[in-house]
Amino acid sequence: MTEHVPQHVNHRFSSLDINRLGLWLFLVSDASFFIALLSSRFFVVGTSTPEHVDQVLGLGLTILLLVSSLSAYKAEAAFEHGDIAGAKRMLLATIGMGIVFVAGVGFEWHEAFKHFPPSTGFGTVLFTLTGVHVTHVVTGVLTLGFVFFRIRNTTEIGDNQFAVEGAVKWWHFVDVAWVFIYPTLYLLK
Amino acid sequence: MHKTLQETLKTGWIVIGVLAVMTIAEFIVAVAVDDKTMLFALLLIVALLKAWLIIQYFMHFGQLWAHVAEVWDGILSNDPEADREED
Repeated sequence: MTEHVPQHVNHRFSSLDINRLGLWLFLVSDASFFIALLSSRFFVVGTSTPEHVDQVLGLGLTILLLVSSLSAYKAEAAFEHGDIAGAKRMLLATIGMGIVFVAGVGFEWHEAFKHFPPSTGFGTVLFTLTGVHVTHVVTGVLTLGFVFFRIRNTTEIGDNQFAVEGAVKWWHFVDVAWVFIYPTLYLLK
Repeated sequence: MHKTLQETLKTGWIVIGVLAVMTIAEFIVAVAVDDKTMLFALLLIVALLKAWLIIQYFMHFGQLWAHVAEVWDGILSNDPEADREED
């Protein structure tokens, strides 16, 4: 007699709710990583900021990331309301701004090597913080690109809701992280 | 009650407008304030407000509790019909 081993699948809550909850828990854990890195700035160099820090570039990168958050928000809103074409346009706009942001950080690094290389205290903080953040931006761009290709031929929401929602939430998280990195690296005296 | 697409987009424009004003404000504060402690406190307050705006309105943090409640209710539920048995 073979033993019957039932596999219980819990359908008392949707996988969408579990996915959302899991994503939020992951974002909280990732936020703690950024908090640790941000606090290291004060241990390494206090609140002083070198005069060669490019304030215009810092402000420009901040505005760019904020605007990309709006386009990501619009992509999610359009998708949820069935405007797939609008969602795809906004996803592409967000990806484009993300790529420009990465290029901006690349330029920042090029300039930073001249004035405060990684061997200096501020250089250590700047390259670590922006390096970790830009890695998140790159993964965000890749994720948004993946979602774009996933929905490029669809005409209805289908089972893509969490794909869009999750990628957009990740992008907003990247923006929230920069909201704290910007004043920490550029504006303190 | 679900918002229309136009209402949702309007919320987005308002939030980005406030974020833009706060970003300019924090830049001006950084230029104008010389006291390090005061500057740190002001920048922290502005950053926290900006983060709250993004988390609340762009990331829909308020909806999280509904998802938590759904999952929690599912865990506590004793309805055997809700589980599907598969071989």
